[in-house]
Amino acid sequence: MAELRLPFAAGRRAGDDARAPEGLPPSARRATLLAGASCLLPLLLQLPPSIAALITAVGVGIGLLSWRRPLPSALRLLLVLGLVGAVLVLAGFSLGRDTGCALLAAMFALKPSETYTLRDARSLIGFALFGPFATFLLDQGPWSLVLGLAAVVLALATLQRLAEYESRPDPARAAEPALSPGQRLLSIGRLIAIGLPLALAVFWLFPRLSSPLWGIPDRALARPGLSDSMRPGEMVELLNDETVTLRARFRGAAPPTSQMYWRGPVLWNFDGREWTRSRWIQGLPAAPMRAAGNGWDYELEVEPTDTRDFVALDLPRAAPPGARLTLDHNLYTRRPLSTLTRWQLHSAPPASYEPQLRDTLRRMALSLPEGYNPRTLALAQRWRAEAGADDAAIVRRAMAMIRGEFAYTLATPLLGRHSVDEFLFDHKAGYCEHFSSAFVVLMRGAGVPARVVTGYAGGYYNPVGNYWLVRRSDAHAWAEVWLRGRGWVRVDPTAAVAPERIYDTLADRQPGAGGLFGGIAAATPLFNLSDWLRRGWNDFVLGFDASRQQRMLQPFGVDRLDNHKLVLLFVLFASVAGIWMVWLSSRGERERDPVVRAWRALGRRYRRLGLERQPHEPALAWAGRVAQARPDLGESLLRLSQHFSDWRYAGNGPGRREARALRNELVRALRAHRPGPSGERR
Amino acid sequence: MAQAGTTTATARGRLSEWRRRLLALTRPRRREALPARFDRRRIYVLPTGFGAFYGALLATMLLGALNYNNNPALLLALLLAGAGLASLIAAQLQLSGLSIVAIDAEPVPAGQPMTVRVHARAKPDRARRGLRVDDDGALGTGVASLDLDQGAGEAALRLTTERRGWLELPRLRVWTTRPLGLARAWALVWPQAPLLVYPTPEPHGPPLPTGGGDQAVTRLHPAGDDVHHLRAYRPGDARRTIAWKHSARRDILLVREYEQPLGGDVELEWQHLNGLDQEARISRLARWVDEAERDGCRYRLSLPHQPALGPGSGHAHRHACLRALALMPHG
Repeated sequence: MAELRLPFAAGRRAGDDARAPEGLPPSARRATLLAGASCLLPLLLQLPPSIAALITAVGVGIGLLSWRRPLPSALRLLLVLGLVGAVLVLAGFSLGRDTGCALLAAMFALKPSETYTLRDARSLIGFALFGPFATFLLDQGPWSLVLGLAAVVLALATLQRLAEYESRPDPARAAEPALSPGQRLLSIGRLIAIGLPLALAVFWLFPRLSSPLWGIPDRALARPGLSDSMRPGEMVELLNDETVTLRARFRGAAPPTSQMYWRGPVLWNFDGREWTRSRWIQGLPAAPMRAAGNGWDYELEVEPTDTRDFVALDLPRAAPPGARLTLDHNLYTRRPLSTLTRWQLHSAPPASYEPQLRDTLRRMALSLPEGYNPRTLALAQRWRAEAGADDAAIVRRAMAMIRGEFAYTLATPLLGRHSVDEFLFDHKAGYCEHFSSAFVVLMRGAGVPARVVTGYAGGYYNPVGNYWLVRRSDAHAWAEVWLRGRGWVRVDPTAAVAPERIYDTLADRQPGAGGLFGGIAAATPLFNLSDWLRRGWNDFVLGFDASRQQRMLQPFGVDRLDNHKLVLLFVLFASVAGIWMVWLSSRGERERDPVVRAWRALGRRYRRLGLERQPHEPALAWAGRVAQARPDLGESLLRLSQHFSDWRYAGNGPGRREARALRNELVRALRAHRPGPSGERR
Repeated sequence: MAQAGTTTATARGRLSEWRRRLLALTRPRRREALPARFDRRRIYVLPTGFGAFYGALLATMLLGALNYNNNPALLLALLLAGAGLASLIAAQLQLSGLSIVAIDAEPVPAGQPMTVRVHARAKPDRARRGLRVDDDGALGTGVASLDLDQGAGEAALRLTTERRGWLELPRLRVWTTRPLGLARAWALVWPQAPLLVYPTPEPHGPPLPTGGGDQAVTRLHPAGDDVHHLRAYRPGDARRTIAWKHSARRDILLVREYEQPLGGDVELEWQHLNGLDQEARISRLARWVDEAERDGCRYRLSLPHQPALGPGSGHAHRHACLRALALMPHG
């Protein structure tokens, strides 16, 4: 009946066939390449467009070229070298996580050129599974997750298909009806669902590393964010970026929006064009501050930036574990924020902040580059002469000037050498960078210590989840001046001109447009909901780390999970999940045909009478046997069996509708037949 | 290059040595009566090469994800691991509950491949498709497929035969790599079901000894000349052989049978083949049995220390003779 063939020589033998080089049937090969491509897709979306386009083009080209016959190995080697070189050039030879991922993607793209046997196909799928993995290292957004999950399902479905091919290598003899795509996905879904309890148990309970074994490579291709420097005119890009940068949930009162200044890098040095941070100041201990009022308790959830500092509501009172406060009350973390992090913070508005200014710092806060902005300096010196020793009067005067004569606009001309002069006396329009920069130059010119502070202002309240979210477009720059007796005082010249820019940051502007979900969530309630969902995902999945894991059982009264308790819990849950897996898998598959299902149930009902139908027994023979043993039951069973075998073997009735009606009637009849110890029971 | 080749060969030798030891530990360790049911004590699940690769891949992913505290990557790796584990269980369940109920084969002359049918049964509660049956290369040259349909199925495994007599089956392995190809679930069955191998007929030899004398034996032959007798009609008889007159008289269809005189009974005597050694005698007698059968002669086989078989002809007689020859002690 069955013809025999060698198990592994099959590929080689089929290689004689010109249609399929080396064996793998074209359909399986197509499925393999499709699965590989779907694994590559989310990764490509994260790479810079030029590299992604190159890899896509090469991948598709190679797939087509090598479809019929393998490319010569010399050409393949050339392609590998060429593509690797091109990717390195496009990535600017900066070796980092991004370049690594780009090279990985390039290797995938080349793989189809040598995928002809079962083994090749499997190794392609195996390596392709690194695609979603690498994607998650770069991005954890919803679309990456959805695409990654789809890719994994496809990859597993292809593995299943390859295993079927392995157990039946001869395509001509594949008498078994191939699974339809739907059934295939269903069976993969079943495998994943069965494995899910264990996966989740391990996910929540597997001990996490509290510090990494090896360093996290910096993102070679940096994404925009608050930078350490500010050059007036360059923040526009940031102001148009609607990506969420942090979410804050307050315990107790939240400050009014007008007071939500998320304080970031403090810029001390000005070279005439650019404001920069002073590195050596970072090492000094935090300046003393006295809080006014109780302040705010809040939890900050910071999206990854790959820098080592993050903003906090001013002023943070103390650094949370894992970070420290710099002199300027900036938060500086021990390692780059490459993943979502969460911080418990307490901030308060200062009553006095660094009331004694050291001479070195004072000199720094007054220094201006030589030979820049003569008109501004002249104005400042005039003000100083008029105001005498009253620094506050100078500040008031500058604010009055800005409020009276200036306009807020994002469309600013390119400024020349004397940028502050041009802004103050010629254009009189600009945005936060221009305002803060000019203001600080003016103050320093007048002998008032001043510095530029960058960060975010305002926030958008999401009523669905009761939290605030701050986006990149809320980026802002303002000034701090040092006043005798009070220390550093925040002055926001932009707010004087365009208060709506600060106070109702997002309320008037179209919400959404954050990432790919923007289009879908254009309506505010929908946006609120989707961002809330996103936050939930962040909360439950992305931000789960060693310390959250240890605090996991706090609601149940366990304060802190030690490592050995955690291991114990892990083993316990993993074994329970394992047992559940076995139970789930060993349940038999449900028979699809309701008639056969009812027929088998009927057979089982006779078990109590010792007259169960044997697997080999035809319907009528069994009914005959029963009729001999139990004449009272025999007749109706015989009728049912006849009906059943007619239905099953005599083909279907005239129309679909009639057939279904007949089927339902038969199922009802089969279910109604209940043999009792004496006679049939209804 | 050559050195590398040698190293590989040594490694392979060591591997097969380990394999042999491993197999010696697996159940069953002695022959068993059929039906043999596979339960968890005798089903083994071991990763395939690809499964090991997949495992290494997942380990790398897990380590990377834990190091970067990247939870989506960790979930991905765990999801893949969970599906992989579920596939191991699914592979095991493909075999669990399966019974090998019988093994049979048509006897073949030694030296020819024998097709051994392995009959399997299981509860029809789950699809068992694409199982494979082999004997790990002990006698078989290939792998047979086993699909269970409605709880029953059979595989036809081709084994090589070398010598006449009882063929003791090697341990047969039933295995599958489905559903994902990550692991091979396998179980061994070592049935106590000896299969008969006939002796190899001599390829070229003297003609069949002519039938010895007095009794003229006739063979029924539809095209013969002499009417032998009438018998009842059997489906398939030619219409022209029906005896219409007799049939009309007896009210049932009768058919004329003819016979043709042939030679007498063929005597196949062990004693007459003095000049040959044991195996040569057996193989010549086997050839003669086949020739006599082909020519339609009645023949009698006389072997030492046992009563003569026959005279007779037909399938059963041929089988009896060849079986007796096959079971002659090896010389």
